[in-house]
Amino acid sequence: MNIGESSGLERLGPFEIFLPTQPVAPALRKEGSDEIPGRLFVVEGIDGSGKSTQLSLLHKWLESRGYGVVFSQWNSSPLVKDTTKLGKKKKMLTPATFSLIHATDFAARTEQNILPLLKAGAVVLCDRYVYTAFARDVARGMDRAWVRDLYGFAAKPTVAFYFRVPLETAIERLVGARDGFKFYEAGLDLGLSEDPTESFRLFQGRIIDEYEQMIPEFGLTVVDATLPVEVQQAQVRQIARTHLERAKNLRVRP
Amino acid sequence: MRKTYGRLLPGMKLADLHGKLIVVEGTDGAGRTTQINLLKPWLEELGHAVLDTGISRSTLAGEGIRRAKEGNNLGRVTQTLFYATDFVDRLENEIVPALRAGFVVLTDRYVYSLMARAMMRGMDGAWIRSIFSVALVPDAVFYLRVGIDDLIPRVIFSRGFDYWESGMDVFPGYDMYDSFRSYQTALLCEFDRLSVEYKFDTVDASMDPTAVFTELKAKILNVLEGDSRKEYFSKLYSRPVAAAPRVDPALVAAAHDGTIAHHFPLPPVLGRYLGQPNGHSLGHSNGNGNGNGALHGK
Repeated sequence: MNIGESSGLERLGPFEIFLPTQPVAPALRKEGSDEIPGRLFVVEGIDGSGKSTQLSLLHKWLESRGYGVVFSQWNSSPLVKDTTKLGKKKKMLTPATFSLIHATDFAARTEQNILPLLKAGAVVLCDRYVYTAFARDVARGMDRAWVRDLYGFAAKPTVAFYFRVPLETAIERLVGARDGFKFYEAGLDLGLSEDPTESFRLFQGRIIDEYEQMIPEFGLTVVDATLPVEVQQAQVRQIARTHLERAKNLRVRP
Repeated sequence: MRKTYGRLLPGMKLADLHGKLIVVEGTDGAGRTTQINLLKPWLEELGHAVLDTGISRSTLAGEGIRRAKEGNNLGRVTQTLFYATDFVDRLENEIVPALRAGFVVLTDRYVYSLMARAMMRGMDGAWIRSIFSVALVPDAVFYLRVGIDDLIPRVIFSRGFDYWESGMDVFPGYDMYDSFRSYQTALLCEFDRLSVEYKFDTVDASMDPTAVFTELKAKILNVLEGDSRKEYFSKLYSRPVAAAPRVDPALVAAAHDGTIAHHFPLPPVLGRYLGQPNGHSLGHSNGNGNGNGALHGK
């Protein structure tokens, strides 16, 4: 039986139609408009590219100049992170659920922190942003367009820095610094290789390919991550400064 | 061959998904759970292996969703994606393996409920359709439809108003009743729209549950009759098996009147399924003599 056929449904009477308020834009939203006065700086790159070091130096500099700065880390929403942890620990994440649970975490941070703070005029710093998901999920075999659609609710960053580093350099940095690679980090779920280091190399290689494609697609700002830390930071600060010039009102302290 | 709504998840093979995917949809309080609890033992009695699944029952995200709903900071995008995670986890780990093993999968809600909830919270329709383009197209979607005025007493006198079922996050009304009414009315509106787009089979669920059950049984028999494993079944049964005839509209009308199955001259095979005693006489419906052709009939 279909709607309209006699089935007693006509008893329903007139509907009180609810009109949706504000549709979630299917494209990345532009920041810096009247609606969103804040600034959003994000860092991207493979593990071992040194992006977190650079972001924390930028953070200190911005604070010292009096800006209201908020830092948001990948995969850190209190609502979602226990679920992600469970999935990783029990190795129950497939490429699809890996992608979706990270999008859920990102959504929670966007709704609770990133967007409200940008609207309030804060400088928001993100260690990894949607581009991490685009690179990793596609490297795991997810459809490129599907993943981009999935993150359609994200705010567009003011600047997205991509710390470009050769794979071997990153591996040298990581092998010295930690015990070993984690299961999903090394892409061991994909069965590329049984050896974690080899699997990491193959998986991160795919991720680098994705990042390289995204440089023109999203206008990522490339930083040569083989340069000395100080040189990279000087470049980062110079670029950030140009985007803060007309944002003196974002300062919370003199 | 089974289809998705446009995109295929990595590693998912659509060949050999021989089972049947049957969706029971409807707003809160439409009686979906009641019907599934009746349908499952009935299908098992007929010899089908049945998997029943439903929203937020995944091992991965079920608990996380429950916890998130206890708080007051679950936003609409997060909500949608959390449920999408739950759905895909069940799709990959329960639904697809069960279909491959030839099960009848009965699912309490499917992507449509998630789409309706998201869209009435103002989310972009193209965005939500893209996310759920990875879902399998079901063999049938039964939309249990209850008007708002029939729905309210059911909810009040069974479990009372619930924060999320009243849509308090979108309609912070004067009280739960106002919210519930506005929210469920808006949801019905979304469901009705989806029912056209996705060609739901709408069942008037304001009827007595027994009448709804009778109608669902008849409709599900039609779905099972169109089984891709007909030949296999015809070899399996030692004696010829006749197909259940298409449901006679008069039968459905009789179910509506409350004069259910027993007083109605049913074709013998359908009579057997619906509990009439003389159901064992076979070969009636196609009359081609050997009775075996019925499964290949039409």
